[in-house]
Amino acid sequence: MASRVVITGLGVVSPIGIGVSAFWKSAMAGQSGISAITSFDPFPMDGYRSKVAGQIRNFSAEEHIGSSHGDRVDRYAQFALAASREALSDSGMQMEQEEPHRVGVIVGAGMGGMVMGEREITQLYLHQKPHRVHPNFIPVITLNSASGIVAMATGAKGPNFTISTACSSSAHALGQAWYCIRTGQADAVIVVGADASITPLVFAGFCSLRALSSKFNEQPERASRPFDRNRDGFVMGEGAGALIVESLAHAKKRKARIYAELAGYAATSEAYHMVIPREDGEEVATTMKLALKAADVSLSEVDYINAHATSTNIGDAVEAKAIRALFKNRADKIAVSATKSLVGHTLGAAGAIGAIATTLAIHTGQIHPTANYDDPDPDCQLGGLSRDPQEKKIQAALLNAFGFGSNNAAVVLKRFRA
Amino acid sequence: MADRAIVDKIIQALAEYLKRDAGTIKAAHHLRDDLGLDSMAVIELLYKIEETFDLQIPDQDLVGLTTVESVASYVEGRLAPAKLAVKKAASNPAMAKSPTKRKAK
Repeated sequence: MASRVVITGLGVVSPIGIGVSAFWKSAMAGQSGISAITSFDPFPMDGYRSKVAGQIRNFSAEEHIGSSHGDRVDRYAQFALAASREALSDSGMQMEQEEPHRVGVIVGAGMGGMVMGEREITQLYLHQKPHRVHPNFIPVITLNSASGIVAMATGAKGPNFTISTACSSSAHALGQAWYCIRTGQADAVIVVGADASITPLVFAGFCSLRALSSKFNEQPERASRPFDRNRDGFVMGEGAGALIVESLAHAKKRKARIYAELAGYAATSEAYHMVIPREDGEEVATTMKLALKAADVSLSEVDYINAHATSTNIGDAVEAKAIRALFKNRADKIAVSATKSLVGHTLGAAGAIGAIATTLAIHTGQIHPTANYDDPDPDCQLGGLSRDPQEKKIQAALLNAFGFGSNNAAVVLKRFRA
Repeated sequence: MADRAIVDKIIQALAEYLKRDAGTIKAAHHLRDDLGLDSMAVIELLYKIEETFDLQIPDQDLVGLTTVESVASYVEGRLAPAKLAVKKAASNPAMAKSPTKRKAK
């Protein structure tokens, strides 16, 4: 029989707090982490349509991870490392007592090492001096630099992967970790989602795609407003989330505190369009349905959904439509919240940060508010959305994540019962 | 013994890279055995030295660069012809006009 999988440790680096305790306190207060981008030195912001983002301002690589690992990796990998360390410490798992080849690392990252990537590309084209490209350029921009550095820092020698499926990357990382443990490849996996690409080129690219909010440049904290009538695009964020997932037997053996059970997962492709979801929401509904089936959880058991909810016009409407189509007359009874209303869209980190919010909701019985849900859009109205905190003893929850490239992920988390 | 000014510049570059006091780094130090630089770190250091001295170090020259002193001697050797060329150029107006062209020939 396949192993049951549980979540035993959490770590986060986010625009509303570094560390789970700071993150959750801000989240429950509905505090926005969105602020104005003052400049992309040396670029003025004038040419950018959007001028706001969920930026992390007080992260010190030296303080959070020490210089020996911090120097050779990009900002996203530094976040990944800091979140992993917190999660490991939170789980109480002592790596020196583990069989190292039984502990894996699976990272979800959408953009990767774009800070150095952009800088070096710019310098090369500007000065045409190929010999001045930094020797660390390739190791830093290679998309698995974070999963590599997390293994090196922790000594985890088991399966080591990076999953890059844009905005759903770390939901897939969590799902693949579930498979990895169920099939006996590992006893435990350090699951991470990380991205830090609020950089001149990537930000300009999302502006050009007309994907970002530009209506609230003067009121940044109001810009990310999933499901609200006045939403006008997503707000880029940066950060990392890490979860320690392990087999129930392994957790029991080391008498670990169990936050929740990771019960199921589904991955699908809409095979439809690079950046636009199918408007009827059928594929999203199917993904949730398949995840519940994998988890052996019935529709009637689901009482919370951590929505993908990026605050784009089409995305939120499609997700709401899919929830309504799947849950029918129960749709308005399910609590729903959008973590991106607080931290913005952290791309590859979004699934992991959403999973942390979901895990904490199950563990504490508290659901964080959806910020700026002031004027419900009739096109995506759901009874379970609220701009206030909600209290609920959650039995089963869905975490949704959808990515460019027409891909969807849904993860099922449950209250743990022995 | 390499030029002291060059040795000092290299030690300074190493001190910044290793985040340690320049006073603790000696010319005789071996980059790997004494200073703990792995092969990637040596490449990063040379990248910095190329910038400091405005040099390009070809791959085939990397082999002997194992101590602070050997790096300094190498840099000195590379800088010497350049210094000589500058001196020659100053005393020969024809060279000063098109040193690059002559070098290319």
